[in-house]
Amino acid sequence: MTSRRILATASLVAVLGMIAAACGGNSNTANPTDSGSGAVATGGTYRTATQEFGYTDAFDPTGEYLGSAWGLYSQLLLRGLMTYNHKNADLGGNDPIPDLATDPPEISADGLTYTFKLHDNAMFGPPVSRVITSHDVEYAFERINLASLAAQYGNYYCGVIKGMTCSEKKLAPVSGIATPDDSTITFTLEQPTGDFLYRLAMPATAAIPQEVAKCFLKAGDYGRFVIASGPYMIMGSDQLDISQSCSQIAKNPISGYNPDKGVTFVRNTDFDPASANPDSGGNYVDGVQITINSNVDDIFQQIQQGTLDGSYGDTPPSTVEQQFATNPDLKSGLHADQGDRTWYFTMNLLAPPFDDVHVRKAVNYVIDKAALAKAYGGSLHAEPATTIEPPAVNPATATYDPYPSTNSAGDVAAAMDEMKQSKYDTNQDGKCDAPQCKGFIFLGRSSSPWPNLNTVAMQDFAKIGLQPKLSEVDTTTGYTTLQSVKKLIPVSLVPGWGKDFASPFGFDYFLFDSRAGLTCDTAVDYSLVGITADKAKECGVTDQFNAVTSEFGPIGSVDSKMDECVAKSAEEINQCFADMDKTLMEDIVPWAPWGWGKNLVITGTSTTHYEYDAFGDVISLGWVSVNNGLAPVNVA
Amino acid sequence: MTRYIIRRLLWVVLVLLVVVFVTFVIFFLMPSGDPALRFAGKGAQPQVLETVRHQLGLDRPWYSQYFSFTRNIFLGDQNGWPGLGFSFATRVPLKDILFERMFVTIQLAVGAAVIWLLVGIPIGILSALRPRSLMDRGAMTFALIGISAPVFFLGPLALYIFWYKLGWLPGTGYKPLSSGFGPWLSHFILPWCVLAVLYAAFYARMTRANLMETMGEDYIRTARAKGLSERRVVLKHGLRAGLTPIVTIFGLDLAGLLGGAIITETIFNIPGIGQYTILAVRRLDLYAIMDITLVAAFFVTFANLVVDIVYAFLDPRVRYD
Repeated sequence: MTSRRILATASLVAVLGMIAAACGGNSNTANPTDSGSGAVATGGTYRTATQEFGYTDAFDPTGEYLGSAWGLYSQLLLRGLMTYNHKNADLGGNDPIPDLATDPPEISADGLTYTFKLHDNAMFGPPVSRVITSHDVEYAFERINLASLAAQYGNYYCGVIKGMTCSEKKLAPVSGIATPDDSTITFTLEQPTGDFLYRLAMPATAAIPQEVAKCFLKAGDYGRFVIASGPYMIMGSDQLDISQSCSQIAKNPISGYNPDKGVTFVRNTDFDPASANPDSGGNYVDGVQITINSNVDDIFQQIQQGTLDGSYGDTPPSTVEQQFATNPDLKSGLHADQGDRTWYFTMNLLAPPFDDVHVRKAVNYVIDKAALAKAYGGSLHAEPATTIEPPAVNPATATYDPYPSTNSAGDVAAAMDEMKQSKYDTNQDGKCDAPQCKGFIFLGRSSSPWPNLNTVAMQDFAKIGLQPKLSEVDTTTGYTTLQSVKKLIPVSLVPGWGKDFASPFGFDYFLFDSRAGLTCDTAVDYSLVGITADKAKECGVTDQFNAVTSEFGPIGSVDSKMDECVAKSAEEINQCFADMDKTLMEDIVPWAPWGWGKNLVITGTSTTHYEYDAFGDVISLGWVSVNNGLAPVNVA
Repeated sequence: MTRYIIRRLLWVVLVLLVVVFVTFVIFFLMPSGDPALRFAGKGAQPQVLETVRHQLGLDRPWYSQYFSFTRNIFLGDQNGWPGLGFSFATRVPLKDILFERMFVTIQLAVGAAVIWLLVGIPIGILSALRPRSLMDRGAMTFALIGISAPVFFLGPLALYIFWYKLGWLPGTGYKPLSSGFGPWLSHFILPWCVLAVLYAAFYARMTRANLMETMGEDYIRTARAKGLSERRVVLKHGLRAGLTPIVTIFGLDLAGLLGGAIITETIFNIPGIGQYTILAVRRLDLYAIMDITLVAAFFVTFANLVVDIVYAFLDPRVRYD
């Protein structure tokens, strides 16, 4: 018995010992930082975190197509001829301003030639540390033109600038770009392009130093070697030994960026503020740290705890959002900014019953946009949309609302009136009653909060007799399903679309220009606006195409209108695209837009100044200010 | 025994090949199985998509990709041996990433294993020696709670209490041992404990049941009749037989964790294999998914082998020749 007792006691001691050891570890309490005074302070480090960078081209500026990456390039790292002030749209954040260029360009009378003068004291950061010349800007275009670099938005330049095709096998001068001296560059265009300055503010066009980038001629490979030309550089850039051979350089990427761990930006020691546009950023902080954190709840707990200064792209959990929205002490840290993004129902012009424009119009009337926005998370996340182009993208559409309803709750009577004109309402009672009105696929997202939106949509559909079969899938599957033309998904609530740049062309081009957005397996024009007999044949939907065109006439197209609009001068372009928007909303009706998305950013009390960058649709790191007094550390 | 081990090692290789093959097939049958779409931008033009496909090696038939992948594993690739390919998302070789992350996961798994063994087995022994006592009931209540409380519940709860509210421990993340023993331990202790709770509870129940059964065996009665001390009876005769099944389970549990403690690493933001699994799946990062599957399968099959060998030493009745 004694032995048993000893054994039991020993075991108990072991257990208690373990528990004590486990729970009594080192005390390392994070002290919350002091509350911000509201004044713009300089110094310190903006510390943030995100679940994943999610880059589409491994952070190589030539091909990278992610808005948050554009934000980092434009605000901190890179300089092109044009940039933005990196503020909200109502503060001019969507208007290009000169950056490497000393002034706006000289534009020829025919609108085909743009000549820029460059600052003569703008420098690349370490280890290149030399003056940026016009040849470095030209080199960026040569890279866009190189097929192997797969420039993901090369269409904005190829076919636009003379000599650019995006299909070159080797780096070579572009015939439409001339660099008569180190500080002059001239572009010759194929046709007038009213929003060309927007395109020159895209990161792919920023100056690139050939001495490093020449080593990286495959898509994505330059992403860990990006040399700064902006006010900040990636920490450790100065350690890059570019005197080595390309194979040696490629083995030792810049230490301050690891795509799976994080990135740290520090001040570019070669940056001369006198060479920059002071409107593009205050550059208050000494550094920016973005850490990868797989636990999104933890990111926001750390913000509240003071170990992070704010969020970066991740949507806060609803409990955190509520806390910040209701607590007066925290409220100033909640920022809901226009995302220049439209959420919409896409309706397939070849799929019954949506092949009938009256059905599509009826859907536009019946949807309860307010309920959808509420289901999406409320006014901090979205507001009811009235048309395709968000007002910040095209101010000329600001008051346009072709399907109005009280409180954006839908107009069932108007919807039924519209449905009565459809061939699918056989008894003309305002409800779709043909066999095609039942059992068609309605594709929705399965992740929260989307099932709630799908429910609202199903209820709205029922009001006009539409009885689809709801198919909920994950977001990636949803998009890839819609992208396949031959799947002919009749209606879907999956998609949303954000601008590339704030010209309406930068919003509409891939969506509705059938030459850009209508490919058989990678379509973005999910509704098939502008589909032709040839394209229908190529994509294997000839029968449906013939059936619809024989019944309802040709499929609407805006390709020629797109050409007309893009050639307009900067002053006329918005109205032209507003007219196109009207054609789409009232004549072709491929969409039922329901919401204009917002971006939610949470900042902690250590963040004393906040701005939102309308171009990157992220927090503006060039204007952010903190009072933590910390020096940047390498989080990669 | 040597012949047995060689035979089993060959089986390990065969199993790994089959696992990789099945994963490849599943990947290519997935509805959203074209990763090039993920890396070609939102308005991907056909020529861009084609370039991306070519550069990722996705323009070849899946069996050709499978062959290259398996060949590189055995013969190595441009980044050395084993050839584990590169990440589609980051365009960097996976070998270094996975080895670095594997080291982190090993620290997590081994630390948790030590805790659950040191907590679970003594609790099980105490309960077995005093069945239906207050101690036994308390221990089994702990076991029930431990088994019922999933990591995704316990993890955030522990963080909330010990970091957010009490401030006793730092938050999430990982500090290598090179940054100091204190920071290293303080970042690991909570994930260790959380991960260990489930296993400790399970091991306590297992130990209790096995030991109670063993203590009722004839040879235990004989040992007592021979006048051996109770301590010797329990430790030498009871535990040896009672814990043998635990060895099997332990090997497999540890191997499973070495393949990635996905939820724990995600909640505690530990850059291990489990966290990388989530990233890889999200990104449709084919080679990363393949490599992780391979690593997990390797640990499980290898642990099986080790367990079988250890079994032979623990249980004299087991022989493999």
